[in-house]
Amino acid sequence: MENVKTMNNPSQDWSTAGKPPLIELKHCTMEFPGVKALDDVGFTLLAGECHGLVGENGAGKSTLAKCITGENRMTHSELYLNGEPVKVASYSVRESQAFGIAMVHQEFQLMGEMTGLENIFVGHYKSKGPFIDWKALRKKAAEIMEFMQCDVNLNVPVKQLRTAERQIIQLAKAILNQSKVLILDELTAVLQEKDIENIFRIIGVLKERGMGIIYISHRLDEIMDCCDTYTVLCDGKYINSGFVKDIDKPQLIKMIIGRELKQVYLPINQDFGDMLLEVKGLSGHNAFRDINLHVRRGEVIGIAGLVGAYKTELIHAIFGNHKVTSGKIFINGKEESIKSPEHAIKLGLGLIPDERRTLGLNMLFDIKDNTTLPSMAHFKKWRIFQDHKGEEKAAYEINKRMDLNYHSLWQSVKKLSGGNQQKIVIAKWMLRNSEIFLMDEPTRGIDIGAKFEIYKLINDLTKHGKAVVLVSPELEELMGLCNRVYIMFEGAIMDVVEGERKTQEVIIHSLLGINQNGTK
Amino acid sequence: MEQNNDFITKAKRYSGGGNYFLQEWMLLILFVLMVVIFMIASPTFRTSTNLMNVVRQASFIAIIAMGEFFVILIAGMDMSLSSIIGMVSIFFAGFTVTLGVPIWIAIVIVMLMAIIVGLLNGVLVVYGKMPAFIGTLVTMTIIKGIYFIYSNGLPIPGIPEEFNFFGAGYIGIFPFPVILLAVIAITLTIITNYTSIGRSFYAVGGNIEASKLSGINVNFVGILAFVLCAVLTAIGSLGLTSKILSGNVMIGENLLFDVMTIVVLGGTSLSGGRGRIVGVVIAALFLQVISNMMVLMSINTYWQWVVKGVILMVVVLIDVNSKRE
Repeated sequence: MENVKTMNNPSQDWSTAGKPPLIELKHCTMEFPGVKALDDVGFTLLAGECHGLVGENGAGKSTLAKCITGENRMTHSELYLNGEPVKVASYSVRESQAFGIAMVHQEFQLMGEMTGLENIFVGHYKSKGPFIDWKALRKKAAEIMEFMQCDVNLNVPVKQLRTAERQIIQLAKAILNQSKVLILDELTAVLQEKDIENIFRIIGVLKERGMGIIYISHRLDEIMDCCDTYTVLCDGKYINSGFVKDIDKPQLIKMIIGRELKQVYLPINQDFGDMLLEVKGLSGHNAFRDINLHVRRGEVIGIAGLVGAYKTELIHAIFGNHKVTSGKIFINGKEESIKSPEHAIKLGLGLIPDERRTLGLNMLFDIKDNTTLPSMAHFKKWRIFQDHKGEEKAAYEINKRMDLNYHSLWQSVKKLSGGNQQKIVIAKWMLRNSEIFLMDEPTRGIDIGAKFEIYKLINDLTKHGKAVVLVSPELEELMGLCNRVYIMFEGAIMDVVEGERKTQEVIIHSLLGINQNGTK
Repeated sequence: MEQNNDFITKAKRYSGGGNYFLQEWMLLILFVLMVVIFMIASPTFRTSTNLMNVVRQASFIAIIAMGEFFVILIAGMDMSLSSIIGMVSIFFAGFTVTLGVPIWIAIVIVMLMAIIVGLLNGVLVVYGKMPAFIGTLVTMTIIKGIYFIYSNGLPIPGIPEEFNFFGAGYIGIFPFPVILLAVIAITLTIITNYTSIGRSFYAVGGNIEASKLSGINVNFVGILAFVLCAVLTAIGSLGLTSKILSGNVMIGENLLFDVMTIVVLGGTSLSGGRGRIVGVVIAALFLQVISNMMVLMSINTYWQWVVKGVILMVVVLIDVNSKRE
């Protein structure tokens, strides 16, 4: 790792003429009992810059962000806001807010039943006498929207808004109080590419007006596109920082995971067997319509689509968890009417849902019980009793194959990293000997190292003659893993691309509902 | 060989750093301590007659609490159990006294009635998607109305003597209720720990959506929990009825609170997915020892309500605010 040398004072690199940085943090150490979450980290943010904070899960990005907002108490550190030294021992959220530091979280912190206007000002209502002065608030909101150059309907309950619009309301809420610093923590994780561009545009506007932005994301493309500077953390330690324009993506990856990745995507398996799953004219209740797709042994097919394309509903319908109104499903050439997930599992299907914490795993269960949940019936003593030893052995074997990082099979899955949790969800179906893996955004919110391991696993599955149906918002992922990609638009399949037609351009066109002739 | 060693370390129990034994058996330790102190302090308490009495009195309430345990385990709640107790008591007496039906047949009939109530609860909550609290409150009121119409609220005394065995008989030196409790507790422990249906209760309580997507028939599990609760409650009600040889509508009136206290004190999480049968049994004994001691010290019985209220308050506060691994 030459040229990736640790420097402890990155600010020396770009101490600009005259103006002190908005935030300057030196020798920041933060200890939880027994663990050093941050170890001698330096960080500098200038006005008008977008600073990407990158690293794997558990690298300390969010911890650092929370130190800056005052949510975490630093063990020892030097902190300067606008060049003024701050007493670290008593630094609090109140103080950071007074300075103008605001953070937008990945999870929505909005009240669904309240309108956008009410949400933006919650806690900051201006009163005229005993009443809320809605007129003034409305005017203020219009100013903020003008400032961000956005147009969102603020008069309907936010739950009726699109995900991207809700994010804009979160942003509006954050910059309400003339913030100087905005921290965006995985803001785009739940957004589609089109909406991300809009967020980037807003960031551009905010930068022009002199705000400093700290941008935390797993998606390195976004860092490359949107940020001016970057800081890499690894295991709570400061690795490097610099200008984004001076590096490329492979270099960044190398810094993040501490090693070089030779190949992101392995060659796609071309050795296909029998038809495993065939869907003909499938329509779902209030969702997709007339879907035709098929997947053979050893094949990965992809499903692309924006929010509102009903990809998840389609996957769930195949798995017997969403009402089907018409159409046929053939498994191994035999027509089946799948009534429930239980039935689907018996037919050899396995679902890796998009929300692993709420749909994929039971957070109260340990690793063993989560791994063996769908295959409990296979481990019996005298036909009725559970064979705990047998389950342990099997769970151990399968998790070893997955390269799972853990202490004990009895450990709760709650504290495992996202990547490790996802491995358990996949291991469940491998242990169950499933043939068809339905994967709904399997790499959502997991760090880059784990992502590549999941890619390798998918490749492995195809070599063992399994079939994979992959839903993903990332085109690169679909192109790198899938033999064929189905593109959905508002519930219908717009296009199927394979071979030479499998290019980013073609897919994007269909994603937006524009067909080959350029008409809508 | 190396692989085998790795397996042995990975298969070791893990409690996230704390003392596993202390975490799991805290209630038992407290219980033993309390009993030892009472035995030293009170000569009346330590007589074998008194101790046996405590266990016998605790047994039926423990059986009922084990029923509620399953419902709370799947993150539900059964409010109807006091009505099931009254229904079973009054109709059992009605069949045996008024109609002269043989005891065994009467037992079968009231059990079937309890199963029907359990099914109704289950269907309302699982298929009707009613919140468990309201769904069972509805059945509670309906059943209560029906058995009050039947009995006019009056007790039906005169159940045949031989039925007294159920609540007060002995097999060898052991009271029958204690043996019944032991048999049921051991069976249910085996079911919860060593069968797939047992683990399904925990799975459904922990995360119903994830369980469904892992192929567990969550509707079946949900209904089964309510039926189990109704059946165990009916057994408990028969025991209570047998002690007084009289059908009584008021017999279960204040029991719901005790049962809830026992289940939560026994370490069952109100949000579902966590708890053990053995905890429920210990908690039932725990509560009974406290009331027994208060009676021996001739403290006004109304103080028991205050004490039980405080216990439930403390236990729920701990349950809701603890971050157990």
